[in-house]
Amino acid sequence: MADDIKDKVKTDVPTVTFTMDGQEVTVAKGTTILEAARSIGIHIPTFCWHPKLKPVGSCRMCYVEIEKWPKLAVSCVTEATDGMIVHTESDKVKRGRRATLEFLLLNHPLDCPTCDQGGECELQNLTFEHGIDDSRFDFQKNRFTSDTDNTVFDDKRIGPEIILNRNRCILCYRCVRANKEAFGEYDLGVYERGNIAEINAAPGQQVNSPFSGNLPEICPVGALTSVDWRYKMRVWLAGKTPSICPYSSSGSNILIYTDDNKNLIRRVTSRCNDDIDDGWLSDITRYGYQIANSEERLQTPLIKKEGKQVEATWDEALEVICNRFKEITEKKGKVCIGGLISPSLDNASLYCSSKLFRTVFNNNNIDFRTDYRMLPNKPDSYFGMLCNRSFRITDIDDSDVIVVLGSDLIREHHNEYLRIRKAVNFNNARVFSLNPYSVKSADVAQAEIVYNIGTDEIILVAIGLAAIEMGLVEQGLAQGFKEKVKLGSLAEATEVCGVSSDDVKLVARALAGDGKVSVIVGELITRSHGREAVASALFNLSRLLGIDKKGQMAVLARYANSRGAEKLGLLPIPTGAQVEMLKAMWGKFPDAEPQTTDAMLALMHKEEISGGLVLGGNPIMLYPDRQFITEGLEKLDFLVACDLFESETTELADVVLPMSSWAEYEGSYVNLEGCNQVACQAIKHIGQSKPAFEIIRLIAEKIGTSLFESDEQMATEIEQLLSCEPDNATPDNFVDVLPLSEEVDPDFPIPLCICDDPHHTGALTQKAPSLTNFTGEAYIEMSPDLAARLEVSEGQPVRVESPVGKIVMPVKVSKHIDNDVVIIPRNFSQIRVTSLLMRKKRVDRVRITKVDE
Amino acid sequence: MKEVIKAVGHVFIKMPQGLLVTLKHLFKKPVTLDYPRKKKPMMPRYRGRHYLERYDDGSERCVCCGLCAAACPADAIYMEPEEGEHGERRAKVYEINLLRCIFCGFCEEACPEEAIFLGQEYEFAADKRNSFLWTKEDMLVPHPRKDNPFKKIIRRVRKVYGVTEQ
Ligand code: SF4
Ligand code: SF4
Ligand code: SF4
Ligand code: FES
Repeated sequence: MADDIKDKVKTDVPTVTFTMDGQEVTVAKGTTILEAARSIGIHIPTFCWHPKLKPVGSCRMCYVEIEKWPKLAVSCVTEATDGMIVHTESDKVKRGRRATLEFLLLNHPLDCPTCDQGGECELQNLTFEHGIDDSRFDFQKNRFTSDTDNTVFDDKRIGPEIILNRNRCILCYRCVRANKEAFGEYDLGVYERGNIAEINAAPGQQVNSPFSGNLPEICPVGALTSVDWRYKMRVWLAGKTPSICPYSSSGSNILIYTDDNKNLIRRVTSRCNDDIDDGWLSDITRYGYQIANSEERLQTPLIKKEGKQVEATWDEALEVICNRFKEITEKKGKVCIGGLISPSLDNASLYCSSKLFRTVFNNNNIDFRTDYRMLPNKPDSYFGMLCNRSFRITDIDDSDVIVVLGSDLIREHHNEYLRIRKAVNFNNARVFSLNPYSVKSADVAQAEIVYNIGTDEIILVAIGLAAIEMGLVEQGLAQGFKEKVKLGSLAEATEVCGVSSDDVKLVARALAGDGKVSVIVGELITRSHGREAVASALFNLSRLLGIDKKGQMAVLARYANSRGAEKLGLLPIPTGAQVEMLKAMWGKFPDAEPQTTDAMLALMHKEEISGGLVLGGNPIMLYPDRQFITEGLEKLDFLVACDLFESETTELADVVLPMSSWAEYEGSYVNLEGCNQVACQAIKHIGQSKPAFEIIRLIAEKIGTSLFESDEQMATEIEQLLSCEPDNATPDNFVDVLPLSEEVDPDFPIPLCICDDPHHTGALTQKAPSLTNFTGEAYIEMSPDLAARLEVSEGQPVRVESPVGKIVMPVKVSKHIDNDVVIIPRNFSQIRVTSLLMRKKRVDRVRITKVDE
Repeated sequence: MKEVIKAVGHVFIKMPQGLLVTLKHLFKKPVTLDYPRKKKPMMPRYRGRHYLERYDDGSERCVCCGLCAAACPADAIYMEPEEGEHGERRAKVYEINLLRCIFCGFCEEACPEEAIFLGQEYEFAADKRNSFLWTKEDMLVPHPRKDNPFKKIIRRVRKVYGVTEQ
């Protein structure tokens, strides 16, 4: 059926037929000559044309000759028409291109020996190709000097990680266009005109968006280069390994450049996968690799002896682990060992951990969701159903209506953020952003709805009610919807959410229309314990407006392999199908009570769990109640922590094992749409570190069972589990929505959101120097209005107090926020943000006071 | 009997003849040199050890561009760039392994900064392998290049990009 439509669309499009270099070409009307040439494998040199940007025709490199046209034509902006006869390699064309190159080189400084782009420079390559070895120009070249005069090098830093050399610029505008079109940033522009036109940062601004690292990559010459790659090595000497980003949940495809002599990663560039990253990388992906090179990496296992962690060999460490675990299980039974596993690890590691706990320890105490609060211990919730729905990143591109609920995309899902911009730019999609505070990503939204924090499910109900009030739905459905809702009218619901009903009606009308819909539910919902209410409200809304028939709605997985963890059954309660499959594979499945992170921590407090295994992820820093988790882990008799670095969590551990970073072994990762991708090994293991899956297998072997007979067995078992497709189930009928509301303590009036900084993610990226150049320390972000009321300005410290904690940190004033919500990034260890949080609260609230210096 | 006479003839006639040649050569000018007391003058284009050149103001010419290493057929050159105090590119490590080097001079030919050249000296025998690994310090030394008509430097000052050279 779907294919029929596609074919119909295809045949409906008018086509043109023309001749290119003697070949007959038929393309859709509106295709440019350049695109047509690329599609049949004819190469036309270009500078300003970029596959992901709209063409501008500014460089004139892509000349072709068209018969009966008086002059050469610029192929990147010329549409092909019927009967054209195009030559791409005639003498006239070659002369034209040569002349263009000569003009481009007029003011080009020819400092290739010092230029970092040397070896991958498009201008260098084309000059070489066209054999231009001399200049007819013997006047003074234009020179843009740098800000400091004591140098003959005109490099200028225009952002924390970007260096601009205007002499080398060929004014192709790729950077400015990408910045505007793809990233929605306006911090880079063209100033002056004619001979002295220059690219520069906007006056008084820094080029520091979370996508700034893409600019050097798309600059065809060395005008924009990155600080990260500055004078590191020549590109032709670097080893190149295809890999996957270990931070982004969509699994950006990357190429790792390595210095094999020194066993270091030198840089990361995009491997352009149109279905996933569209060729753009976030700075986290691009610079996050630096953690692998860090000097601070753990090199050897550590064992705690008399309160101090001392270096030990692997054998000693494994011996201790095995003995202590055996001791504990003999004394208290096997259910008293719990595991917190990082969802950024590869499939093998996740699967091995699951198998270790379920077959060796024979319990269900394993979870990867260490930064969620109040996870219920019961199966088959609506939220679980919502997680188990399929989602395609490319479907965002052609969606007509995109609703983003509870997600500051630029802080969590960079690729999807850019996709949404693309959908708006190229497909005129209508975006609606529903968030408890105004977010940066809402600048492309048709309507931004900022609702009262903690009323996420009510805003969904309000949309439904609005649709009913406008008479957009059938009577029967409307009746069913209303029955399950405690609120009678739209006015009542909008009152609770604190939003205008006009905006809500706009969303309702868009969702009720025929267009393709994408509904994205983000982390502000998934991490809070309103998630169940939101899931049920969303299912009701979907039933009412037929959303799941018109498109997709999904909770986006958050970490590199969260989706994989779900699919491999690393949850305390796997789905029924998974349990069946695991039973068949292992011959058994533990019937012990499943325990989520929260439940496990509670049991640790009661000393019912007394052995712990933490595999990566630094849960103490991320779990939304620092005191609770610290006390829990402290009460353990024995804790093993595996990580790349010493952290808050490894400090408490009795045995610390050095883990390899993702670049040091081959692993596969499942991205948020369920696509399994492989990251190859780029460098050798640092120190004595080992991959997580190997650590788990060694522990199991030491205890006396080997998890797998062979590596192939592991691979087939994983493959089998991953082959399960999401079931896309929905509840059979309208379900009860149980809004959760909380009393507001008047002493602590201001709601607090804990998010990632746009340049950081999780606990690891603070070890990447390039990323800390953007943001190096925690801050509290607030609206100008609130800052004025507190009488503080940017950078001044304030005291933030909650009922359980108190910290002092500097203020960051954000113009785009316009209500009383404060945001603190959770990525910096020096400020213990999570000590302000209480896990039982849906919304954390704080009191902020000025610190008098 | 005949053989005996022949042998005696050889001793008394042929041998003095041969010795006469030797004697003659004793009084001729020898073709060999009294090395190492005396040394042969090298041809001006002889390729011996490497030197790294400096500008007249004393700064290093080499920008660590890697072209010499790329041109080197013996893979003898290793370098690591770094950023100097004025933001310039320069070599942090620059090493030539003289055990690998075949003294082809391609590095000199490839260098866009006229920074490296092969001098006349050829005496660098050593008894440790490591002493054949010549570093930047070993090569950035004063040298008699100025006298050599075949190794003229075209550009004597650091290039200021944007200004056409004279
Ligand atoms: S800086 Fe680079 S990308 Fe930007 S206009 Fe100049 S050459 Fe093009
Ligand atoms: S002389 Fe030839 S072999 Fe020796 S370092 Fe130079 S390029 Fe390499
Ligand atoms: S010696 Fe010349 S070619 Fe070699 S790195 Fe230095 S500047 Fe480049
Ligand atoms: S590529 Fe066509 S004008 Fe630049």
